[in-house]
Amino acid sequence: MDSIEKKLLELNKIQDIQQRNHWMNSLHPLGKLLISVIYIFLVTSLGKYDIVPLILMSVYIIFSFIIGELSFREGIYRMRLILPLLIFVGIFNPFLDKNIVMVAGYGVRGGIISMLTLVVKGLYTVLAVYALIATTTIEDICYALRMIKIPKIIVIVIMLIYRYIDVMSGEADRIYTAYRLRAPGQKGIAYKFWGALVGQWLLRSMDRAQVVYESMTLRGFKGDYIPTKKGVNAIDVIYPIAWITVLTVIRIFF
Amino acid sequence: MHMADALIAPAVAGTMYVLSTGAAGVSVKKVREESDESKIPVMGVMGAFVFATQMLNFTIPGTGSSGHLCGGMMLSAMLGPFAGFLTMIGVLLVQCLLFADGGLMALGCNIWNMAFYGCFVGALLIWRPIMKKGASRAKIIAASIIGCVLTLQLGAFSVTLETLVSGITELPFSTFLATMQPIHLAIGFVEGLITSAVLIFVYESRPEMLWGVGEETKKEGKLSFKTTIIVIAIAAAICGGFVSLYASAFPDGLEWSMEQVAGTSELEAEGTVYETAESIQETTSLLPDYAFKDSESAVGTSFSGIVGAAIVAGLSAVFCYAFRFFRRKTETKTA
Amino acid sequence: MKTGISGELLNISGVCFSYEKGKEILKDVSFRANEGESIALVGANGIGKSTLMKLLVGLYLNFSGSITVAGHEMCAKNLDHIREHIGYVFQDSDSQLFLSTVEEDVAFGPRNYGLSEDEVQKRVSEALDLVGIENLRKNKTYQLSGGEKKLASIATILSMKPDIIIMDEPSVALDPKNRRNLISVLKDIGGLKLIASHDLDFVMNTCERTILMDGKTIVADGRTEEILGNRVLLEAHGL
Repeated sequence: MDSIEKKLLELNKIQDIQQRNHWMNSLHPLGKLLISVIYIFLVTSLGKYDIVPLILMSVYIIFSFIIGELSFREGIYRMRLILPLLIFVGIFNPFLDKNIVMVAGYGVRGGIISMLTLVVKGLYTVLAVYALIATTTIEDICYALRMIKIPKIIVIVIMLIYRYIDVMSGEADRIYTAYRLRAPGQKGIAYKFWGALVGQWLLRSMDRAQVVYESMTLRGFKGDYIPTKKGVNAIDVIYPIAWITVLTVIRIFF
Repeated sequence: MHMADALIAPAVAGTMYVLSTGAAGVSVKKVREESDESKIPVMGVMGAFVFATQMLNFTIPGTGSSGHLCGGMMLSAMLGPFAGFLTMIGVLLVQCLLFADGGLMALGCNIWNMAFYGCFVGALLIWRPIMKKGASRAKIIAASIIGCVLTLQLGAFSVTLETLVSGITELPFSTFLATMQPIHLAIGFVEGLITSAVLIFVYESRPEMLWGVGEETKKEGKLSFKTTIIVIAIAAAICGGFVSLYASAFPDGLEWSMEQVAGTSELEAEGTVYETAESIQETTSLLPDYAFKDSESAVGTSFSGIVGAAIVAGLSAVFCYAFRFFRRKTETKTA
Repeated sequence: MKTGISGELLNISGVCFSYEKGKEILKDVSFRANEGESIALVGANGIGKSTLMKLLVGLYLNFSGSITVAGHEMCAKNLDHIREHIGYVFQDSDSQLFLSTVEEDVAFGPRNYGLSEDEVQKRVSEALDLVGIENLRKNKTYQLSGGEKKLASIATILSMKPDIIIMDEPSVALDPKNRRNLISVLKDIGGLKLIASHDLDFVMNTCERTILMDGKTIVADGRTEEILGNRVLLEAHGL
């Protein structure tokens, strides 16, 4: 399990990358969201023995990371979260799928191929999401979500969650540190303190929510939030269309 | 227990998106009906709270390991199932968009597996009936543990089903299930304990903050229809699952019972989940030819094909690096 | 949204209030305040200062007595009007700034009142300029220091151009430099200011009039030097 500091560091790192001054960051969020969803859709729709299109699909990842100046290491690091389930699901394929598949003239056990393609798909999809989030802030994604008519209540809640993650994580860190300083040598929070420790914090958070509400309502909040409008440039349209065309061609013709 | 993009076929992802969107639509409508704007900041702050509590480790008595809080159950007990569900959607979305935790396409699955069961099953079927006549320590512990165990079981079951139906794994249904369910039984129990400890604290200090306590007479008729539907849907899912499990593990047994009941064993064609899934997949998949290639038709990926693809990928990398290299140079020149 | 009202902006008369029946928080509170005044509200912890200020912005309406804000009688149907005239800076800046960038947060109020986008941008610039953080316009809220957060909070209120600004403990948790900066910013802000504070030195520097509260009501109301100079009076009321 990640320590709180590590998680906070990760959070700050991604927020810093999101604020870089790079043209990919300033692309319209809707286009980037669309490419990501379509890319993931096309990758996962590939058959388990489809090696060639799977290799070709890497061009998007390569482009996004090299031109977008993103770190492959950071992206691959995100794999750790899904790796256990991915491995569990794929590891038995070589033993169970005994079909022989011809690859480059050699007969290879189908299970081995399907396990490899599964891992590669896992890698691609995670890197594609990373490429999206590293270049797009949550506010921008919320803006895109509003454009595709996601109910405003969900979008506002997402924005508030995002805003208060820092505040609440900081509180979690302080509570945990204060606890550990007085309970040395314990790995986590002991049973008898669960309720009081988290419960107090929960009630405090509810009080904070009340203040947030008052602050919103005093400034005319009536259930909606209007963000700053974003302009659309030619590149905002050309970029997603170009990628979607390339990816679709790869998917259909190979 | 986040589902990954790579583990699901587009058709399954789409189906789960539709289901989750439906549940979200109902929830948005319900929350709007209450027309209480003060709930929005509470949802936001509570979402961040759930996010942050998941960073805390709780020592499990008698073992060396640690557990976490069950967000869906706790949120529903505080905010009710509808606002709780929308908040969980927010939490899952932020996890996905900030930490790449769970995928974009798998989001529909994750919302269903983690938020839907936690909020609707946990709150409407477990929490509310138990709290009908008022709360007590014992009732909160019971509701939390039953709720968390059941919702995690359903969640794990769904993960298994979604992966299998997607045709990703070669694992037999029964093996997969036999691994997933017991692990989540233990996790659910611990989450239930932690959740109950927190809710008991709330109950003892500010009981009015708990949702659905002593609501016996209030608007019972309004929700009972929906509750019934949900019960039936879940029951059907569980039944379907267990029948298939039974069928794949003991196919003879099912045939035998079919013969006893109907005098025929004709149903054997649909004996396994995988086969059923395959037919569903073929009728629903957007790209049926590609999504479920069986081994015979996929034979023969040629050497030249692989080399060609690898060269394309390699060249694109070289071009990108070159582009970046020269662009930097020109930038420094002009600067 | 300045009305251009000159003269009396606040008229509180005989206000009593309780959250729960029988537990009175405020009892017979009365005072008036005019345009351009800068008034400190002092008193020990839990004396009802925050409650009184929340009453003035209409967060609780079940009080008795009468409250008039910029000519509007406090009641549910007048709330929108009243809130255009009065702004509240909360003690906790993190609760006040609920959006993730400074610019969006400062623009939140004006947008909700339906101003044109040009006007909103103008208001944002003016408000940020007034508190001296125009350079932080595009910054993320979480990246601000405590002092910057406080100034941003004030800007979120100034962008609505209220006639009256209420502040709850604005100098808490500020270092000396930020505190000095805040004092000079407050001097530049016009309108009626009502500041609740335990920081008597801060009060001395920012307010010419002081209202002292104790035992659920106002016990003294006068020139700051006179009230804060009266040690016996202050100590008798827990300060």
